[in-house]
Amino acid sequence: MNGFLEYVPGDSLLHRLNPVTKIVFAVVFAISCFCTSNLIFLAVLLAAAIGLAASCGMLKQTAGLMKAVFAFSIILAVLLLLTNPSGDVLVELPWGYIGTGSIMAAVATILRLEAAAIPLFLTFYVTKMTDMSNAAVKVLHVPYKYAFTFASTVHFIPVFMNDMRSIMEAQTARGVEFDQGGIVNKVRLMVPLCVPLLVSSVRKTNSAAIAAEVRGFDLRTRESGYKTYPFTAADLAVIVLAVAILVAAIIVP
Amino acid sequence: MIQIQDLTFRYREGEEPVVEDITLDIPDGAFVGITGAAGSGKSTLTYAMNGIIPHCYPGDFYGSVTVGSLDTCETSLTDISQLVGSVCQDIDSQIVTSIVEDEVLYGLENFGVPHDQIEARVTEALDAMGILDLKDRVISSLSGGQKQKVAIASVLALRPKVLVLDEPTAELDPASSRAVFELLAHYAEEHGTTVVVVEQKIALLSEFADMLVIVDQGRIKFADEPRRVLAHSEELLALGVNCPRSTTLMNRLANVGLYAGPVCCDVQEASNALLEVIA
Repeated sequence: MNGFLEYVPGDSLLHRLNPVTKIVFAVVFAISCFCTSNLIFLAVLLAAAIGLAASCGMLKQTAGLMKAVFAFSIILAVLLLLTNPSGDVLVELPWGYIGTGSIMAAVATILRLEAAAIPLFLTFYVTKMTDMSNAAVKVLHVPYKYAFTFASTVHFIPVFMNDMRSIMEAQTARGVEFDQGGIVNKVRLMVPLCVPLLVSSVRKTNSAAIAAEVRGFDLRTRESGYKTYPFTAADLAVIVLAVAILVAAIIVP
Repeated sequence: MIQIQDLTFRYREGEEPVVEDITLDIPDGAFVGITGAAGSGKSTLTYAMNGIIPHCYPGDFYGSVTVGSLDTCETSLTDISQLVGSVCQDIDSQIVTSIVEDEVLYGLENFGVPHDQIEARVTEALDAMGILDLKDRVISSLSGGQKQKVAIASVLALRPKVLVLDEPTAELDPASSRAVFELLAHYAEEHGTTVVVVEQKIALLSEFADMLVIVDQGRIKFADEPRRVLAHSEELLALGVNCPRSTTLMNRLANVGLYAGPVCCDVQEASNALLEVIA
């Protein structure tokens, strides 16, 4: 079982693409989702995104992501529904009305967020963090310090989540009932645990910095990376596809 | 290889010095084991050898530490690390990548090892630790012991002249601990590497080390050949250091006058000696 944002090994086309291509595609795809309000087009993009997930065997994780994004986007959708009076009047509200246009906008928001999130999410799971930062340094000329900071942040998320889990398990063993009384109670019980978590994470981050330094972090330059990240025909095709999607998103009414 | 002269160090946030008046001379190519009770200053002593003190932890540093020809106070940590490879106690936080191969690559890339040698170095290091088959694995899916081997391999790949390891077998069962020591000893002999290991498993140290250092409350109590140090099993016990049981047994027999031979370091020696005594 893989943890949050941990690389899932595989040999799909997505796995083999240049990390830069994946980032560019995911970002352009996300931008495209925000450039169109056409429901059919958004539905097609969402279907394509799910297709991508299927192509690299990540359907299960993607379903989990979609559930989370849905929970978030439903809040936005309700807000839109109540505050965006447009189209034919369906329900009168004291401050306006809910119209067919409001419903369209709400549905578009849900579709848009779902579709935009999936490729970004997949990029993290099908790309090794080291490859992503090395490629960013080599190809995009991002300074190594920034790339390393970003990579370490992502690298440490599962570590800290594990820490939190063990702290909670230790508390559960001493009789704290995290599973009683719903989410509010759970959060109330978790807040005090943030202190030990913070202490251990600061300590861990410090030793990580030392460990990187004793292995020559300061000497690293753009030329240091051993692996090369050449662009292949597939990468070029994917970038062209991304641009095509963006153009379509802008011109489709 | 490593000369420590009158070293005293107090962490900025601490009241008392953690190590005090340490003088130690570690010859080139030696295999040195450091042990002592928890909180006795063992880790701090290793930090002094690999330059983490005074470069990463602020505090009062007295005395001098020289590694090779470098004074650790005057040399940058990066320069010291070209000579000294370190494996810290907290394995999880010293791993910087997500794949075994990338972890070994990391230091090689940084230190500018020519790219045509890198492949061979990675293979050699992983092979030396017996984990060549884990090359493409995701590190978070490995067991604690495997992670420790990865951490050691990633330092071995840099071919340091000195290896400083802080409890490298903490997460390992007895058989794997032994295997790690065997691999380390073999590697050190082959490459002429000086090895300093902090370790609780004194039986392993007494078997593999040329020099055993016992630290108590920041001071060195004994620093000698394991056999000579182990002769003081009663004193060691008082310091919170358990000698191998076979050694303790034979020392007790010697105390009551039943045995007059040399100190026994392991079960085999003790059983041979016992057979002689009985005969």
